[in-house]
Amino acid sequence: MRPFTWLAPDTTEEAVALLREHGTGARVIAGGQSLLLAMKERTVGPSHLVSLGGITGLARVTTEPDGALVVGAATTYAALTRAALPGWHGVLSDVAGDLADRPVRNRGTIGGALCAADPRFDVPALAVGVDAVLRISGAAGDRTLPAAEFLRGNGITAIGPDEILTAVVLPPLPAWDAVVFEKFRHRVFDAAIVSATCALRRACDGTPAAVRVTVAGATATPVVLDVDAAATAADAADLAAASFHPDATDEPTRYRRELVRTLVRRTVDRAHTQQGSA
Amino acid sequence: MTEAPAHPTGTAPRLVGTSVPRKEDLALLTGTARFVDDLRLPGMVHARILRSDVAHARVRSIDTSPALEAPGVLDALAGAELVGKVKPWGDLMQDLLVGDHFPFATDKVLYQGQELAAVVAETRYQAWDGCEAVRVDLEELPAIVDPEEALAPDAPLIQEQIVYEFGEGNVFDRYKIRVGDFAAAEAGAAVVVRQRFATNKQAGAALDPHGCVADYDSFTGVLTLYSSTQSIYMVRDVLADVLQIPRTKIRVIVPAVGAGFGSKAQIFGHEVIAALFSMRLGRPVKLTLSRADVFRAGTTRNAQVRYAELAMAADGEIIGYRDYIVHNTGAMSVWGNQVVHIGTNVGMLPYAIPNIHVDSDIVHTTTAPGGPLRGFGIPQTIWAKEQLVDMAARELGLDPLAVRERNVIDPDEFPYRTPMGHVIDSTSIKQCLLASADAIGWDAPRAPHEGKGLAVSMKYTSARHPSLDTDLSAVRLRLETDGTVTVYSSDVSHGQSHATMLAQIVADGIGVGIEKITLAPPDSMTAPFGLGTYASRGAAVLGTACRLATERLRDKILAIAAHVLEVGPEDLDTGRDRVFVKGLPDSGIYLEIIAATAAYRTHQLPPGFEPTLETVATYDTPTEREGSDGSGNLSVTYSGAAHAAHVRVDPDTGRVTVVDYAMVHDTGTVINPLVVEGQHHGGFAMGLGMALSEDYVYDAQGRQLNASFKDYLAVTAPDVPELTKTAEIPAPSTMIPGGQKGAGESGTGPVPAAIGNAVFDATGVRFTVLPITPQRMLVALREKERQGVETLRYPDDMPDFTGPRRHDDWPAPVSADADLDFDFDWEDD
Repeated sequence: MRPFTWLAPDTTEEAVALLREHGTGARVIAGGQSLLLAMKERTVGPSHLVSLGGITGLARVTTEPDGALVVGAATTYAALTRAALPGWHGVLSDVAGDLADRPVRNRGTIGGALCAADPRFDVPALAVGVDAVLRISGAAGDRTLPAAEFLRGNGITAIGPDEILTAVVLPPLPAWDAVVFEKFRHRVFDAAIVSATCALRRACDGTPAAVRVTVAGATATPVVLDVDAAATAADAADLAAASFHPDATDEPTRYRRELVRTLVRRTVDRAHTQQGSA
Repeated sequence: MTEAPAHPTGTAPRLVGTSVPRKEDLALLTGTARFVDDLRLPGMVHARILRSDVAHARVRSIDTSPALEAPGVLDALAGAELVGKVKPWGDLMQDLLVGDHFPFATDKVLYQGQELAAVVAETRYQAWDGCEAVRVDLEELPAIVDPEEALAPDAPLIQEQIVYEFGEGNVFDRYKIRVGDFAAAEAGAAVVVRQRFATNKQAGAALDPHGCVADYDSFTGVLTLYSSTQSIYMVRDVLADVLQIPRTKIRVIVPAVGAGFGSKAQIFGHEVIAALFSMRLGRPVKLTLSRADVFRAGTTRNAQVRYAELAMAADGEIIGYRDYIVHNTGAMSVWGNQVVHIGTNVGMLPYAIPNIHVDSDIVHTTTAPGGPLRGFGIPQTIWAKEQLVDMAARELGLDPLAVRERNVIDPDEFPYRTPMGHVIDSTSIKQCLLASADAIGWDAPRAPHEGKGLAVSMKYTSARHPSLDTDLSAVRLRLETDGTVTVYSSDVSHGQSHATMLAQIVADGIGVGIEKITLAPPDSMTAPFGLGTYASRGAAVLGTACRLATERLRDKILAIAAHVLEVGPEDLDTGRDRVFVKGLPDSGIYLEIIAATAAYRTHQLPPGFEPTLETVATYDTPTEREGSDGSGNLSVTYSGAAHAAHVRVDPDTGRVTVVDYAMVHDTGTVINPLVVEGQHHGGFAMGLGMALSEDYVYDAQGRQLNASFKDYLAVTAPDVPELTKTAEIPAPSTMIPGGQKGAGESGTGPVPAAIGNAVFDATGVRFTVLPITPQRMLVALREKERQGVETLRYPDDMPDFTGPRRHDDWPAPVSADADLDFDFDWEDD
C-alpha cells in the first residue's frame, strides 16, 4: 500500500466536491473489499480516499411511497442479510448472505459491488435481473440509470469521475411475482462462474405474463435474454445456451454454456412453481 | 477390542497409544504461538525481493543504483556482483551436487518469480519502493510450460550453464526400473491395459509463508537465522557452503512453523539474501514472502505425464507394469528428481509385481520449481496404477475389489521381499482393503449419478534417498536438576506434534509426568544432528531415537538409584516421577533427587559413574541404497492405506461431491491416535485438492494466473466430507523397536485414484488428467452423450485432443537407450 490521504465527508455533496478537488487521484471507498486488496498489491495507488462511511443515510434501507425499495449504496451485505424485506425483495437478503465470506460481508457494500463491476459478482447480476435503478449524485446534479446501463464492461461503469452512487432502487413488489437467483461457484466463498436470475410476473389467471431472464458471470456484463412469457424452463434454457457463443468449442466456453443452460432452467423452473408475493 | 497393554511401570498408565491432548494446542489456539513473521528484533530492518514477472528471459542488465536513492533504503543486491563471491548450490543427483541455484538470476531468468534483485530498508514499504526503482532490462524468450514440449529436439534450452552428467537438452536426469521381464509378461497376459495419464502441479499452500530473520553479530561473527523451514541442518550446512564460512558460525533456529508439507524441506534464495544483507549491514533483516511469491518461488508437486501399462492374467493376477514417465521438475529443483525415484519404487506397492519396466525423463520447464509435496510421487503413481487395475478388472469382467484382494501383499511369512526389493516387515493391507470397501457398502447398488471407487497404497516410512545415503534422526535428553526433562531435537515439528509425541515416549520410559517434559525449539547450536521432518519419519525414526535416548537415560537413573538404595537395578521400576523398588510404588526416590545427585552431589554417585543425566541417541534406518536396476528397500517399513470413495456427480453442473469416504490404515503402533487421525484427515484434504480442484494455471508465456488463495482452488473445510470412517488396523513394524509406521502421507496417496475410479463408476468417464474439475466433468458428460457411447476417456476421446491416442503413437523414452549404469548392464541379464 502507498501513502494516501483519508477524507471523511459528512454529506454526499461534500464528497462530490472532494472528488472534484482531488481529481483522478481520488477514489471513493465504502467497504474497501475490492479497493483495499488492489491497494495492498499496489495495483492501484490513489492519492486520496473519500470515505462514504460518515455520510448519513447512505447505509439505510427505506421504502418509497410507491413501494420501491431504496437501498443506500453503503449498506453492507451483512446489514442486508439481517434486513427483513418483504416478498421478492427478500432475494436481496438471500443473495447478500450467500456470497464471499463473513469478513467480506461485514465490510463489503452493495454499492461497492456495483461500482467494482466484476462480472462474477452477484449483486450487479441481481440488480440487472430485477431491473433495478441506480441513483447517482454528481456536481452536475442527481441522475438515475437502469442497472443494465450502469454496467458497461468488466470493471467499467457509467459513473463519472466526480459522481457517487448513492442508492440502488428495486422496483415495487407488484413489478414481479417471483424472483429466483441461482449461481455456480467452486468453493462456498468463490465468486460465481455463472449466475442466472429469473424475474416473473403473472397475469390474473396465474399464467406468466412477463419473464425476465438475466445471465451473468460468463460475459463482461449481465445479459438480459428475450424470453417469451409462455416459454417452458427447458425452452428458456435452450434459448439462453444458444445465445452464448454458439460456435465456440473450447472447454471453458462449452462449460459456461452448459452452466447457463442448467442455471436458467433451474431459475425459470423455480419461478414458475413459486407462489406470488401478494 | 484387544486387551489393555501391560503397564511397564506397574503403576503409571502407559501414555503411548493414548490420545494425550496436544501440548502444542494452547499456544496455537490462543494465538500466542510465535511464527517467523511475528519476530521483532531490536534494530531489525526489512528486505524485499524483486522477482521476475516473465518466465524465460535473457538478462541484459539489472541496475540497483536507483534503489539506493530511495528514502530509507540501506542496501541493494543483484546477481552480477555476487558471482564469484557466493557459491551456487542445488540439485542432488546420484551423489552429485549440481550448482544450478544462485540467489539471483545472472545471465538468464528461468521461471516467473525468480529473484532478480533485492532491497533492504528501514520499513517493508520503503524496501518495496526500492524494488520498484530497480531498473531491469530483460529479453524475453519463449516459455516452455508443457514438459513433453521440453523434450522436443528443437525446444529452447532452459538451463544453458549446467552440464548434466545424466542428461542433455532439457533432460536433467533419468530414471529406470528393470525388474523381471515385462515383455514376457505382456506376451502371457490375458489383458494389457494402457493409458496416458497426466497429473497436476499442486501447491504446498502452507498458511505460514516462507520467511526468515537473519541476524549477524559482527562481534562474534555468528549469523543466526530464524527460518520457517523443515530442516535446520540442511539449511545451515548449505548456507555455510554458499557463504563459505564455517558451520559453527551459523546458527539456525526455528520458531513455530505453520506447516510445510515438503515445500520447506530445502534452503531457498530468500534465506541466502537475508543472510547477505544482515552480514553487510550488521543488523537483523526480516524477509517474509508474500503469498504470490510462495506460489511462484516455493516448490510444487511435480506434474507428470505417464504412459502406463498394466498386464493382468485371466485370474486377475497383476503380472507386469510398464511406464514411461515425463517428470516435470520445473526450472530447477533440489529434490525433484528424487520424487520420481521413490514415488515409483514405493508406488509399486501394495502389489508384488514380478515384472516392472519403467523409464523416466526428468525434464526442466520454465515453471515453478517442483519438489517434495505430501506423498512424494506416490499419489502420481497410484493415480495411474490404481486406475489401470480397475480398467483391467473391468476388461476381464472381474470385481475391482476381488482383483485387489487377490493381489495385495499378504505373505505367509515376514519379512517378505517383493520383486521390486521392498522388505515388508508387517502389513494388514488386505484387511484394510476389505474393511474400507465394507465401510462404504461396496456391494450395495449405486443410486443414479453415484459411484464407488477403491485405491490402495503403501507409503514409505522415511526413506534412504538415492542421492542422500542417510536416513537418521537424533534426540538428546537431559533430566534437569528439578526432575523435569528437556528434549533436544533438530527435527522441526511443523504440525506433527513432536512436543506431545516425544513426551509420551519419554514419560513412559522414565516414569516422569508428561507435564514435566519440554521440547526445546530446534536450534543447530544445541540440537543433535538430524535430517529434519519430512517423509513421514517423525514417529518412527525420530521416535526411535527418542526411545533409545530414553532407555539410556533410564539405565543411568536406575544405576544411581540402585547405588543409593543398595538394590540391583533389575529390582527397580520408575513411575510417578520417582524410582522405586518393584512392588513398593508409594516409596522410592524422586527423579529430582537423583538428577540433583548426578549434578551437585557427585561424591554419592556409583563408582565410575559419569556425572549428569544427559543422553543422546541417533537412529539410522537399516535401509538399502537404490540398485542400478531401480530396485531396493529404500524404506524401513511401509504404512498401508486402503481408501474407498463414494461420489455423486451433478449431471447439470459437473460438480463431484464426495458423499462418503472410508480410510483404513495400517500405521503400526500408534503413539497418539488423535494426532494420527488428524494427519490422515489433513492428508485426505490434500489428496482431495489434487483430485478435484488444485493446479497451477499458466498462460502460454509461463505466467501463473492463479498465484493467490482467491484464485488457487485449495480445499477448505466445507469441501471435506464427514470423515467418520477413518480406522486403523495396526500391524506393528518389526523393524522399528516401538512398532511405529509413518502417518503423515498415507491419507494423501490413494485419494485421486479412489475418486477417479468412483467417478468412472458413476459416469462411465475415465479421467486421464487431474484435477477432475466441474468444467472437465460436465464437458465430458455432454461429449459422452453426443457420441452416444457407454464410456469415454477424458480428454483423450475429445475431438480436439492433441495427445497420442494409440499405443503405437506413444513416444519412446529419450532415456531408453542410454546406459545409466556404471557397473551393471541389465541388457545382459
